[in-house]
Amino acid sequence: MTPQTPVNKTDNATANARSTDTRNTGPGRLLIAVYAVFAISATARAGYQILTKFSEAPLAYLLSAFAALVYVVATISLAKPGRTWFKVSVAAVLVELVGVVVVGALSIVDSVSFPHETVWSLFGRGYAFIPLLLPILGLVWLYRRRPAPRA
Amino acid sequence: MDAYFYIILAVGLLSTIICAVAGIMKKAPNDATILSVAAVELALLVYLVGSIVRVSSGEQIAGEPWEFWGYLITALILPVGAVYWSILERTRWSNFVLAAVGVTALVMAARMNQIWY
Repeated sequence: MTPQTPVNKTDNATANARSTDTRNTGPGRLLIAVYAVFAISATARAGYQILTKFSEAPLAYLLSAFAALVYVVATISLAKPGRTWFKVSVAAVLVELVGVVVVGALSIVDSVSFPHETVWSLFGRGYAFIPLLLPILGLVWLYRRRPAPRA
Repeated sequence: MDAYFYIILAVGLLSTIICAVAGIMKKAPNDATILSVAAVELALLVYLVGSIVRVSSGEQIAGEPWEFWGYLITALILPVGAVYWSILERTRWSNFVLAAVGVTALVMAARMNQIWY
């Protein structure tokens, strides 16, 4: 039967695309697990800060909430296959990297405006600098698992 | 820091070492790594039961009680989630996921101790 060969080829192509478009395997699983822990802890912390003492430092606590959102988006997008989720992952991880560097620097230079702790204060020192390390490892992983260019 | 913390510190560190070594040796999750994470869960359950007994016998939590219970419940979910996540794909990387449980549990136990006292 002649049509069988092209059908098989398409199947292989989809299978290949699926495997290269997936980032939730191998080291990616560890990355997602660590991101998930940060998503949970940052969300809980921001929720706690906003519910109990928001008026003390609105900017710092809004920043906490923003950081939590970034971790949640990064966790979900890393676990999902496909090009769109890949782009979402790259955006989330880049925002995270900029966030930790900018907030980390500001918390040292201008400690008066940033006296209240966020995940990203002092480059994430309160979290063993994992917040600084995580986006770098994330970008390396995303680069290694970048989707193949469209044919 | 009380005995509950030191139990979780010891069990958590041991579990992390067992799982990380297994991961470095390129092993998939096995009885040793999964049981070590189960031991972390057991240590956390001891903390849960002990805390319920202490509170019901009239002891006061110095910090926010709901923050303490929030930490404890989250910590109890983590080992279960990690084991589930690791048996879905049985590669060496899943052992590193399991290794993360022990450290996370001991950091959370330290925070729970701070809230309690």
